Amino acid sequence: MNTEATNLSEKKDFLVRSSSLKDVRSFSREVFEKFKIDENLREELVLAIAEAAQNIVKHAYKDYPDTQDRMAVRISCTDKELEIAFFDKGKPVEESKVKHRAIDDVKPGGLGTFFIQEIMDSIKFKEGDKPWINNLVLTKKL
Amino acid sequence: MKYKVTESENISTVFLDGEIDMDVADNVREVVFPLIDSGKEVHLNLKGVQYMDSSGISVIVESNQRAKEKNTKVELKEVSQPVEKVLAMARKFL
Repeated sequence: MNTEATNLSEKKDFLVRSSSLKDVRSFSREVFEKFKIDENLREELVLAIAEAAQNIVKHAYKDYPDTQDRMAVRISCTDKELEIAFFDKGKPVEESKVKHRAIDDVKPGGLGTFFIQEIMDSIKFKEGDKPWINNLVLTKKL
Repeated sequence: MKYKVTESENISTVFLDGEIDMDVADNVREVVFPLIDSGKEVHLNLKGVQYMDSSGISVIVESNQRAKEKNTKVELKEVSQPVEKVLAMARKFL
């Protein structure tokens, strides 16, 4: 990582639906370029971010496919750590139920949580400050 | 996501192009599953796929399962580097 990229942060919100996922990826790639994140890390980080955003669409808004709510993604970095925070107003996450699927259950997105766990160093679920309901924070040491 | 299908004897080759995510996974199923159901061997050419997430992996796994049920098979051809990385990660789980 370039040492000039210290204490940087970018945030953007997106309509909660699957068609927003490509916009989430584009935003992430732009920010990683701007923050000069190691090119070898970028695409796997984009995957982790997209999987987490997908989980919001699929699970937090499972019963509301036509919602007009928006979710926010904030990417922050210091010299030592990258932090990616997600904010949504969907169904509260029950952390104990967040796990990857059994091997023989391969519905779409079923491997997403596994991918996030593989790529990131830590995953924390928090209650979101108003107006948010959920706040997921992923970190990766740089 | 764009695609093209070519036919050669009993093999259908589906050339996928672009990014495969939750938003387009059902489109891929709509292309691939009828070919499998017809009993043909299906080759998925992934040379043009620059990005694939867990939804794309699920389509591949489901295609394999479906092919076994139909006594045929699905093979991956010319897997792009980004897709190979995701497949490698998925293999740890699958």
